[in-house]
Amino acid sequence: MRDVNFAMTQTQKVRLKRALQCLRDCSVASSPVIVADTIPVNLEDNILKGHGTAELEGEVVATLCGAVERVNKLVLVRPFRARYKPEIGDIVVGRVIEVAPKRWRLDINFIQDAILMLSSMNLPDGIQRRRTAVDELNMRSIFEENDVICAEVRGSQNDGSLHLQARSQKYGKLEKGQLLSVSPYLVKRRKQHFHYLEQYGVDLILGCNGYIWVGAHSDGGGKNEDFEDLSAKLEDKMEVEVSPLAPHKEEASSVPLGTRENVCRLANAIRILSLLGFNISMELILDTVVASVTWNTTVRDMLGGEFYTRIAEREAERRSSKRATQV
Amino acid sequence: MASKSGTISTYSPLFSRKNPNFTNGVRSDGRHFHECRLAFLRTGAVNAASGSAYAEFGNTKVIVSVFGPRESKKAMMYSDTGRLNCSVSFTTFSTPIRGQGSEHKEFSSMLHKALEGAIMLETFPKTTVDVFALVLESGGSELPVIISCASLALADAGIAMFDLVTSVSVSCFKDDLVIDPVFEEESCQDGSLMIVCMPLRNEVTQLTVTGEWSTPKVHEAMDLCLGACSKLGDIMRLCLKEAASTLQ
Amino acid sequence: MGLSLGEKNYIKGGIADDLRCDGRRRLDYRSIAIDTGVIPQANGSARVRMGSTDVIASVKAELGKPSSYRHDCGKVSIFVDCSPTAAPMFEGRGGDELSTELSVALERCLLGGKSGSGAGIDLSSLKIVEGKMCWDLYIDGLVISSDGNLLDALGIAIKAALSNTGIPKVEAMPGTSAEEEPEIDISDDEFTRLDSSKVPIIVTLTKVGRHYVVDATIEEESQMSSAVSMSVNRQGDVCGLTKRGGAGLDPSIIIDMVSVAKHLSQQLIATVDSEIYAAEARESSA
Repeated sequence: MRDVNFAMTQTQKVRLKRALQCLRDCSVASSPVIVADTIPVNLEDNILKGHGTAELEGEVVATLCGAVERVNKLVLVRPFRARYKPEIGDIVVGRVIEVAPKRWRLDINFIQDAILMLSSMNLPDGIQRRRTAVDELNMRSIFEENDVICAEVRGSQNDGSLHLQARSQKYGKLEKGQLLSVSPYLVKRRKQHFHYLEQYGVDLILGCNGYIWVGAHSDGGGKNEDFEDLSAKLEDKMEVEVSPLAPHKEEASSVPLGTRENVCRLANAIRILSLLGFNISMELILDTVVASVTWNTTVRDMLGGEFYTRIAEREAERRSSKRATQV
Repeated sequence: MASKSGTISTYSPLFSRKNPNFTNGVRSDGRHFHECRLAFLRTGAVNAASGSAYAEFGNTKVIVSVFGPRESKKAMMYSDTGRLNCSVSFTTFSTPIRGQGSEHKEFSSMLHKALEGAIMLETFPKTTVDVFALVLESGGSELPVIISCASLALADAGIAMFDLVTSVSVSCFKDDLVIDPVFEEESCQDGSLMIVCMPLRNEVTQLTVTGEWSTPKVHEAMDLCLGACSKLGDIMRLCLKEAASTLQ
Repeated sequence: MGLSLGEKNYIKGGIADDLRCDGRRRLDYRSIAIDTGVIPQANGSARVRMGSTDVIASVKAELGKPSSYRHDCGKVSIFVDCSPTAAPMFEGRGGDELSTELSVALERCLLGGKSGSGAGIDLSSLKIVEGKMCWDLYIDGLVISSDGNLLDALGIAIKAALSNTGIPKVEAMPGTSAEEEPEIDISDDEFTRLDSSKVPIIVTLTKVGRHYVVDATIEEESQMSSAVSMSVNRQGDVCGLTKRGGAGLDPSIIIDMVSVAKHLSQQLIATVDSEIYAAEARESSA
């Protein structure tokens, strides 16, 4: 939980402290390790030492503060607050920093900037062909500096740089919304990262790199390719289509007030959850937004001491009752 | 109180140069000679930084923020290891006499030397980690506090390190050794010894001694400091554990 | 910071619709958190947090000589420092431009005209011996974290720090001739509280498109065409005004902004005064 910057009354502080204590007691994950803590391993197996570990006098010690994960013989430490660690196939949201010859460089909250090659991008006319010099000159008509883009991690090259691809219809430029930044640790990898919330008319993209896009729904042209199975579709989420084929509009159509309010509510819910250090999952976000509507909290009061405390208490209650039913 | 006559110079009534009087082995703030100040440590002081920490040791208050690892802005040759960039600055109101903090220009390079032995630079090649320390109030032994606080901020930022870095300094007054001196004690000490170490690895990364010391005195001072360093290390781990425990 | 065209249009649209990105209306301030007495070594200090903007102000009183054209007054000077802990670009000389701009704007808003009228602080209360000795107040502002609206936050921090300031009682020894330097006795325990009721509050109105917003975040500030920062005191008098930004403004718009700022300032002064009072109560009970 990071430092909270809003004014809180004394009673709110007391309630918050109690809720946080309850959350600590309910924590089911393994206790966190700090730098240079020894990680308990069975020394007879051949343990593979993964990221965040080092060997000291025959024992495995942590080099990061985080949670210990064991996968068969691999022991690694996943840090709480580090930069994003990309894996192939991750959906990320990034911002264009530079338009270079035949590529775009994006900031994706990684230690280096990621590269999106022109050849990894669908052309505006949709035809699959070799990129010509004219295409290179027209790169700015596709993406410019400071544009927000959604893409997928393709892999790292030999020189250590990270490459992205945006070939599918669902990737591309994002407009009419706001970009939020949370700690990458709080966004877990799931099957679905694109969410279309029909009841609000809002698109929500949870980038694995901690950049989250909340915006008004935009219909793309072209087919929607869905990878997820039907069971995921039964919960009211749908694929979002953000098409790079949409022409670059100077006067973007404005967002209706109702949708704007929903976007604000979702964004504030995400801000509050990230301040509290809870995992940002779709269920929790929707739950928070519904709670704010039930409690008649105005959108701006969602970023206030009272709502913050109540959400912490609600989550504490939920976890302790879950624990009670499990035990 | 002192009354001034003669030429007027800026004079701050809060600052006084008194000789510390050690009555019955008790110092001016009530501590014993071998007792360190109470440490108050907190991570996450600055939201915009990758990692940050705030430390308060008595009257010495320091805030450190860490940015990175991020792309090195300066065009550099490809290197297998990362780069560490440290900068220490004093606020104008940190010292009793305004503006005196700029006398400590060497703190930046000393912080760099203290940290570079502990950070695993090969985990972030071609990138830079920036460490910015700001002293809000200087009440004695600033550099040890800066170093400990910086190592806490680096752990908070998720930078791979061999171990936390802790630092303690000791002043000697003729035959007495006084640990974690305050400003008044530092200004009239006969000698000082500062140790920077990694407590769990039991390695000393930096040792600076000023003044005249006999060899047994040096040994005694080192033992004292190493004991204090490991206690400080435990306090720092507790602080990190608490910060981590609410993240689930 | 860079924003895409889509985001910029979204922000402008939000401001036009009176629903900003964090749900505030155009004329809503973020929640203000004030702590006083954070720097015990200084004569007075305060820390103000508005959203992610975090600033500290400290007041130090030192002895000095009055200036030659104002014999019966003390002197006040304001310096702002943007520390690299807020953003890496402030390292070295990077923060100098912003620091100077903020210092000058604060001095203009808080120090009044050359004759001393309109000053937030009664400079004649800082006199010790006329023509020979006075108190110099050094007000230092420090930006720890920046998320827009630094000027307002620093203004509130300075007001809180001044209300927290205690000047030591000084007794000048009588019977010194006009030529000699006076002897003085400075008390260690007795302090007089500085009267900060006249210190004005700064309200910055940022114009984005056709509307003005108050308390802009750093994204909204990047969209501004121009901004007007005005300091208003409790009586409702304008004590200083600065226009920032290169875009030209119609004079009637400026007059409108002045009246809007005046209206907002009364509420803001009330909120700030109650927060300062609560902060001092917390400090004295701690």
